[in-house]
Amino acid sequence: MAAGTEATAAGGLTGEIQVEAYRRLFPLGFLERHIRESVRPDARRPDGARPTTVALGAVSSAHGSALVRLGDTAMLASIKLEVMSPSSEAPDEGSVAVEFHMPPICSPLVRPGRPAEVASVICKTLENILMSSGMLNLKELCLISGKDSWLAYLDVYCLNADGSLFDAALISAVAAFIHLEIPLVSVGDDGRVFTVGGNEGKTKYELVNIVKRNLTFTNIPFSLTCALHKDSVLVDPTAEEESIIETSVTVVLDSSDQIVSIQKPGGAVTSMATIKECISLAKDRRRKLREILMDSVEAMEAYQTD
Amino acid sequence: MSAAATTGTYSPAAAAGEKRRERKEELRRHLAEDADWPRADGRSFHDCRPAFMQTGPTTAASGSAYAEFGKTKVIVSVFGPRESKKAMMYSDIGRLNCNVSYTTFATPIRGQFAFSFQGTDNKEYSAMLHKTLEGAVMLHTFPKTTVDVFALVLESGGSDLPIIISCASLALADAGIMMYDLVTSVSVSCFGKNIIIDPTSDEEAWQDGSLLVAYMPARKEITQLTLTGEWSDGKITNAVELCMDACSKLCDILRELLKDASSLAE
Repeated sequence: MAAGTEATAAGGLTGEIQVEAYRRLFPLGFLERHIRESVRPDARRPDGARPTTVALGAVSSAHGSALVRLGDTAMLASIKLEVMSPSSEAPDEGSVAVEFHMPPICSPLVRPGRPAEVASVICKTLENILMSSGMLNLKELCLISGKDSWLAYLDVYCLNADGSLFDAALISAVAAFIHLEIPLVSVGDDGRVFTVGGNEGKTKYELVNIVKRNLTFTNIPFSLTCALHKDSVLVDPTAEEESIIETSVTVVLDSSDQIVSIQKPGGAVTSMATIKECISLAKDRRRKLREILMDSVEAMEAYQTD
Repeated sequence: MSAAATTGTYSPAAAAGEKRRERKEELRRHLAEDADWPRADGRSFHDCRPAFMQTGPTTAASGSAYAEFGKTKVIVSVFGPRESKKAMMYSDIGRLNCNVSYTTFATPIRGQFAFSFQGTDNKEYSAMLHKTLEGAVMLHTFPKTTVDVFALVLESGGSDLPIIISCASLALADAGIMMYDLVTSVSVSCFGKNIIIDPTSDEEAWQDGSLLVAYMPARKEITQLTLTGEWSDGKITNAVELCMDACSKLCDILRELLKDASSLAE
């Protein structure tokens, strides 16, 4: 197929309609024609990521939430806390349950009642990264050692799927944890934990957690997905590019640029040099994402004090 | 890990219920007996919540719309017309396929939904959305194919179904699907001798009766009318007129919105 599209790629491209038709009929030829000019169909450079925005507190009913846009990809993450009895092996630790959803609204490929295969892969990877990167200290989710601790339900919803879903999911998950505010609670006569609101409640009940309202983060993981096509590396691919290219590499780095994980799910073979290039691109991207995230935290704090 | 942990967890907010019950009784009394009483969110009986609507949040779809009425937030995506499922019989006219689902954080307590449905899909609303839109969409314009209308309720704050319906007709228009008219929908709650429009979830939980009207203003046709609970004859006529009036006003807003969106695109 590649040879056929090469031949047609040289043909004249006149008029808007022809370009659009060519894009649909010969997606590979269309992309390769762009790559040869070191530009991508959406006018980015090969090493350019899409504009990224983070909005904290998008879900009013959640304890922590964030809406992330990575180009046209949109992710909504929300954390709700529930009380559980900790296991006997770790009596002073809370736990985290991660779910990643791709509802049918997000992509023409997802139909109701049939969860997308990619969703369960992203869910498992997300859980592994959050747990293994050392970002969360589960001891901070403890209320009363051996009796009560928090179970944080993290639900990430993909609202619009346009490529690099894992990157967007990880940013939104991290941002939701940063936004997470643990409610003040007290223990009732029946031994159940209940939330205490307002000044009246604060004086009336004996509070369990007075100091610990936000989690502390020593390590924040960020990821970058690069699409590999022959010799070229395309940073932060769109859904269109992902459907055409041969393979991709996802690099996750923590705050000290240590590698948390590298994933290359099958596809064509690649060289070590390319992987190294991906890692260095991921380092630049991590710094930028960190800035974006910190800006959003400042923006939220400024908004709250107004 | 999570499977073992899920059993026996509870939301701490649920424990503080005593005050809520007192507040409910007071609110109910005011709504049922007073002539006009500022509701919990400061509205009068015949005011709708502040609304925001927009087309095109989901670029992956043929058409989409976002609607926000107070706390209720809904996204609807429309896909197609596209190939019908293989198992479907041949059909001279097009098919409309509707699905309504809720996020796990849509309700105050995670995963606890007001209606009994499997998983996060709301079968009842899916069927009602289908019935409402069926009469408005020109199905003969896309024979043998299917148009999918998928709705996701991000947050549920009351009057979910009417908002889904209005949002869906906006999304269908955005997708360029031919319709006889835009369908808009509004619901009212009945409290004693009063009728209140666009109820919140609290008001819906405590109401005596409810009425939902889906209306095509230009054709002056009602596509769906659902009445539940205690009503007296005289009040029903008033309530239907109130709904139809609100639907017409909402429809004018949607029209303006679509005009603005299309003039921006040019």
